[in-house]
Amino acid sequence: MTSHDYIQPVRRILTEEDLTRWQSSESYNGLVAFIVRLADSVKGKELGTECELTPSVKDILKVLDSIQTIIGRHPVVTDKDISRFGKVEFRDFYDEVSSSADKLISLIDKTSELPGVSKELKVYLVESWGNRTRIDYGSGHELNFMCFLYCLYKVGILDLESDSEALVLVVFKKYLDNMRILQTKYWLEPAGSHGVWGLDDYHFLPFLFGAAQLAPMERMRPSSIHIPDYVDMFKDKFFYFACIDFINQTKTGAQSLRWHSPMLDDISGVKKWSKVAEGMIKMYKAEVLGKLPIIQHVFFGSIIAAPEGVSATRDLSGIDEEHGHIHIDHDPDSNLHLNTFGDCCGIKVPSAVAASAMEKKHFRPVPFD
Amino acid sequence: MDIDTDVQMEDAVTAHDDSLVDDDHNSSSSESFDFSMNQKYSRANEAPGSNIDTLDAWIAQLSECKPLSEESVKKLCNMAIDVLKYEENVQPVNVPVTICGDIHGQFHDLMELFKIGGPCPDTNYLFMGDYVDRGYYSVETVSYLVAMKVRYPKRITILRGNHESRQITQVYGFYDECFRKYGSASVWKLFTDLFDYFPITALVENKIFCLHGGLSPMIETIDQVRELNRIQEVPHEGPMCDLLWSDPDDRGGWGISPRGAGFTFGQDISEQFNHTNDLSLVARAHQLVMEGYSWSHQDLVVTIFSAPNYCYRCGNQAAIMEVDESHERNFLQYDPSVRPGEPTVTRKTPDYFL
Ligand SMILES: [Mn+2]
Repeated sequence: MTSHDYIQPVRRILTEEDLTRWQSSESYNGLVAFIVRLADSVKGKELGTECELTPSVKDILKVLDSIQTIIGRHPVVTDKDISRFGKVEFRDFYDEVSSSADKLISLIDKTSELPGVSKELKVYLVESWGNRTRIDYGSGHELNFMCFLYCLYKVGILDLESDSEALVLVVFKKYLDNMRILQTKYWLEPAGSHGVWGLDDYHFLPFLFGAAQLAPMERMRPSSIHIPDYVDMFKDKFFYFACIDFINQTKTGAQSLRWHSPMLDDISGVKKWSKVAEGMIKMYKAEVLGKLPIIQHVFFGSIIAAPEGVSATRDLSGIDEEHGHIHIDHDPDSNLHLNTFGDCCGIKVPSAVAASAMEKKHFRPVPFD
Repeated sequence: MDIDTDVQMEDAVTAHDDSLVDDDHNSSSSESFDFSMNQKYSRANEAPGSNIDTLDAWIAQLSECKPLSEESVKKLCNMAIDVLKYEENVQPVNVPVTICGDIHGQFHDLMELFKIGGPCPDTNYLFMGDYVDRGYYSVETVSYLVAMKVRYPKRITILRGNHESRQITQVYGFYDECFRKYGSASVWKLFTDLFDYFPITALVENKIFCLHGGLSPMIETIDQVRELNRIQEVPHEGPMCDLLWSDPDDRGGWGISPRGAGFTFGQDISEQFNHTNDLSLVARAHQLVMEGYSWSHQDLVVTIFSAPNYCYRCGNQAAIMEVDESHERNFLQYDPSVRPGEPTVTRKTPDYFL
């Protein structure tokens, strides 16, 4: 891949028609095949299993370690802005990841052979940790981490033959560890959570990978998630039990999963883990990859190409959603402009300007509640 | 007809009108209620007084957290439309009143709220929306509040929140819950059709403006709210959307909301709005706050959140705000109730896993 032109990834899925195009696109099929391949590679494998780490996998672990270090550099200052749920120091963490993204990507040695690749990779990497403004996290952010790995595979840095198992059992594990720290330290709100009616407040893939790990198990049934001793025994071996344990630790005020997680309770009635594993892939396609409120936030560049015929991007519409401000250019002839990092606070925008700025957004993504 | 039969109404008028809502203004005994019920519902083959009995029976059933049958929900929603369609975009409310924020299907905590704040109808209540989504008991919660509204229309006001919408309930759980509890989407349809009639704001004694979200750059005066056509799905943009979606912010002026709907508004905006409309306070809900209530823009805006330990994990307190006859405000905070018994739905394997 010499002289490949990498481009700035942008969001392209806006309408139901876009979503339909996405679901039959090469990018969609490639990503699904990638996730299924990863899941297949860990069937019957436990966390902590010795597996070969190629240099690129080791490099990705360095990136994740560095991000963990960044988390450590931004402690929560107690009593600061207690009225808000999420801890505002998350934004400092996020900004540091964002501003050091090129450096983080360069830890992956082989990226140096692909000039400009960082432009695309870093979008997925930075988006993997949640939303800066809302201080929240959900399966859409988790999907970005998959996109990040998928890109590394697509550009030839990862090899599924040698790396699949380690990508799940070591790399994804490390990512999940970082996420658990972020979720508990900064009180990340669940993004777009269905509350008790969803699978989990934050994650999907550890259930998918976890069910794959357990798929060959014949004797232990899915209903064993209700048995505390089993959860304790298996939480360090299988993602699925690790998630159940996390839920048990963090959900308070209810006697059992039946109350706060009826979906997991329902699934625990399935007879075999192999059925759970198959179902998780179907469910992921429908509930994550098939849902406009999630997919409208997916970024497309040259590595993960936009499906043909989808809407133009809304990312340069004059509104900087991440920073949450309307910007007025001082040149009276120019329109509202995009300002990526802000010196913009406190400008009072007259109603008419605000109104017309909103009109430019013809298709409106489903808002966050 | 006045279904507030066991409470004394202050605004007695002499003219009798047997339409469902105007009768609310009558100081009536249960006899006069029965009389009007007889006229109003004889066509529907209801026995005299059966509506009040029916409502009381529904309320009794719901207060045990047992959902109504689909047929009953249909009747209830029709009765509620007849009440709510006559309410105003800016529904006037008198003191004393207890103002409440998001509930989100946390039924047992709603029961706790009534314990803390005093039972309805002895205490007047104003709920600022977000009854459904996320919690386990959105169906029971919204059925209960709507039944109370129809039973005691002058004693309880229920505003619309951004979750009382077709689009949002399909994303955040109420749709799933209805499907799960009734086996089809029909109850979801009945309720989301009803939500279109909910008033969008309330005005307590012309001094406290109550709404779910916040201000809109397109609304300078409360009269402008009165001009809106609210009987529709919550739009994606525009003043009605903003009233249900906006948030106060530390930054001045209007900002684009990170939610992707509504705006953020600064203290300068609140000052202007309260001054223009001669208000003492904007009371709103819509944001999780750890203490259950939180002041913004000094004392111009208050956020009230009434779902304790939101989603079983947030560890927040809940609060309600009492406003008494002399307009004194008092916040009552409370923690999650103990959830008794077993969940109402039986285990059912999702289709993906069959
Ligand atoms: Mn809300």
